[in-house]
Amino acid sequence: MKTTIGLISANYTNEKFGTLAAKRTLASLPYGGRYRLIDFPLSNMINSGISTVGLITPYNYRSLMDHVGVGKAWSLGRKVGGMFILPGSVYGVRSSASKFLQRDIIQNRRYIDRDTADYVLFCGSNKVFNMDFRPLIEQHERNAYPITLAYKKVEHGENCDGFFLNVDDSGKVAGIRYNAEGEANYFLDCFVIDREFLISFINWFDALSYMDVMEIVMDSLNDIGVDAYEFQGYVGAVNNLDDYMRVNMDLLNPEIRTELFNSERKIFTKVQDEPPVLYRPTANVKNSIISAGCIVEGEVENSIIFRSSHIKPGAVVKNCIIMQHGMICEDAYAANMICDKYVTIGRGARVEGGADHPFVIGKNQEL
Amino acid sequence: MQKKECIAMLLAGGQGSRLGVLTRNNAKPAVSFGGKYRIIDFSLSNCVNSGIDTVGVLIQYRPLVLNHYLGTGEAWDLDSSDGGVHVLPPYATETGGQWYAGTADAIYHNIDFVDSYNPEYVLILSGDHLYKMNYNLMLAEHKAKGADLTVSVIEVPWEEASRFGIMTVDEDERIVKFSEKPKEPDSNLASMGIYIFSWPVLRRALLEDHMDPTSDKDFGKNIIPRLLAADMKLYAYRFSGYWKDVGTIESYYNAQMDLMREDAEFNIFESEMRIFSNSNIYPPHYVGEKAVVSGSLICNGCTIDGEVRGSILGSGVVVEEGAVVEDSILLPHTKISRGCHIVRTIVNENVRIVAGSEIRDPNGEISVIGENSQFAEV
Repeated sequence: MKTTIGLISANYTNEKFGTLAAKRTLASLPYGGRYRLIDFPLSNMINSGISTVGLITPYNYRSLMDHVGVGKAWSLGRKVGGMFILPGSVYGVRSSASKFLQRDIIQNRRYIDRDTADYVLFCGSNKVFNMDFRPLIEQHERNAYPITLAYKKVEHGENCDGFFLNVDDSGKVAGIRYNAEGEANYFLDCFVIDREFLISFINWFDALSYMDVMEIVMDSLNDIGVDAYEFQGYVGAVNNLDDYMRVNMDLLNPEIRTELFNSERKIFTKVQDEPPVLYRPTANVKNSIISAGCIVEGEVENSIIFRSSHIKPGAVVKNCIIMQHGMICEDAYAANMICDKYVTIGRGARVEGGADHPFVIGKNQEL
Repeated sequence: MQKKECIAMLLAGGQGSRLGVLTRNNAKPAVSFGGKYRIIDFSLSNCVNSGIDTVGVLIQYRPLVLNHYLGTGEAWDLDSSDGGVHVLPPYATETGGQWYAGTADAIYHNIDFVDSYNPEYVLILSGDHLYKMNYNLMLAEHKAKGADLTVSVIEVPWEEASRFGIMTVDEDERIVKFSEKPKEPDSNLASMGIYIFSWPVLRRALLEDHMDPTSDKDFGKNIIPRLLAADMKLYAYRFSGYWKDVGTIESYYNAQMDLMREDAEFNIFESEMRIFSNSNIYPPHYVGEKAVVSGSLICNGCTIDGEVRGSILGSGVVVEEGAVVEDSILLPHTKISRGCHIVRTIVNENVRIVAGSEIRDPNGEISVIGENSQFAEV
């Protein structure tokens, strides 16, 4: 049987998240009440039988390391294989487009050289999906191209940031571009590559270490032959603040929630041992996701409430994301807001973002 | 092995028959409690919070869930290479094998285990009560008094004293008499079933008791009277916090309902003396557009589209639209289908209630629904 090791890139961010990503890599953005975005690629790897996973960290890796530790929560604390922390280059985190910097891979090439696996599965960390990678790897093996890129058909490419694939009639990738209008094949920052091929690839392009692997693939398409794999499940791409809001709110849709979380392939995350949520008699909650450790005494509608938040009596929370340890005091009103961790909205305060553009309150602020 | 000053031995082998269907397929310490916990969490968390890092768990009755739940002890930070959780089942030897005949017998058969840590003291726990206690304070008193055995006691109302094992003490808190469920109690200090023994004393007592064919091999019935008769130094340690039995359906129900009170004495939210548990990975729970949830404790993984009032929902519970749940405890992975109305009911783990079921005891008693109930989907 062919073997695969994983490589997750967490060494990128961008400026489209306001203060949310100012000190975080996108990979460690909190998501869905108790998760961080990195949980998805990590869980997908382990759920697909990939138990050797390299994690390319950003330069500013404190929050990420605090979350993943040695990978125990994903069963990646192993004697054989397990999680490998691969320090990324300093410049990665400033770049917005590059997810798979050639230099990050060169810097950690021992991880790839030393293993004997047949394939390396690359995955980014700002797209939410629950994918079984095995069919992708099977197709890669069957069609025997050196690289297979995973994509999702989207109706409105103009709303997506990233790469798009032109797929020809034989299913091969005929072109890769940055922009798309209307129906398009949206690249999932996820691909399989033959490990030996990857090593020679790194050697050929050693001098171009500032480039992104995808850019090199783009330029060498005709020489190497690249296959495409269509993923048909849900994909929530988180490229900016509006995406972030929408992809969180997607969880209120039962089909999406079920696909992401009620699959046999569980999404693992760091466990924090919070008590259950306590609803006081005054609580009034509709269409919301509430995470462990919260105390709810007020009104919550169409919102995602993270761990250990407290919604006090008379408080009203609508269309909001309230991160861990949020406190919405008596008779406060919050609508269309994203509150970072440890935000307090004081007694009687009124804060409201735009219906299409949420307003962000940075970490530890008190209003 | 490195010497330990004090290790804990947790008696987790009993059936807990007073919990009825809840312990038909599950040992009492592994019965779900307060939504995401199991009863054993409270003792294990107390150990860890008291700095006791070595715990022998004596198992016997239906240990499947319990063993699975304990795992490596990681959930309680008890997976250390030097100590941690040790599961201790009855075992066979070249002369045959036998079940643990009583609480003292269970420890007797694990003298080798205790010896391997060469402890000065052994803490014996029964693990069927809800309380937060720093065993270190008790140990400090045990040492200060130079005691052979210290029994943790709590003052109970005089009229209830005849339901407990009662310790009569002198002015120095030295135990002068122990009476099991006395008709006319002369003290209201009830034993909490928490003992700290100096190990050489307990070791000798276990060996002696084992030779006595008339003994029930029980701590309360045999070991404590034996030490009293031998004029050993037995002291009472007064505990004054919250302490509730959860061994009967009624106490199990009431102790959980207490968790939701505004003035809850047992606080699961405070950050000191945290309660750890081996909770599975579930997403946060979802409350639907038409749902009503009030005065309740709800765990991760639940989906609520119906009405839930004054109830506790364990992990992964589903309450469908049009179902009403009041003053009830739904154990993990239960499902209350459309049109059900259940009141003051405990539903056992994994049970799915047939749509349209009305469950409410006409006399206001607590109903308990297991997988064999007429209301359970097959």
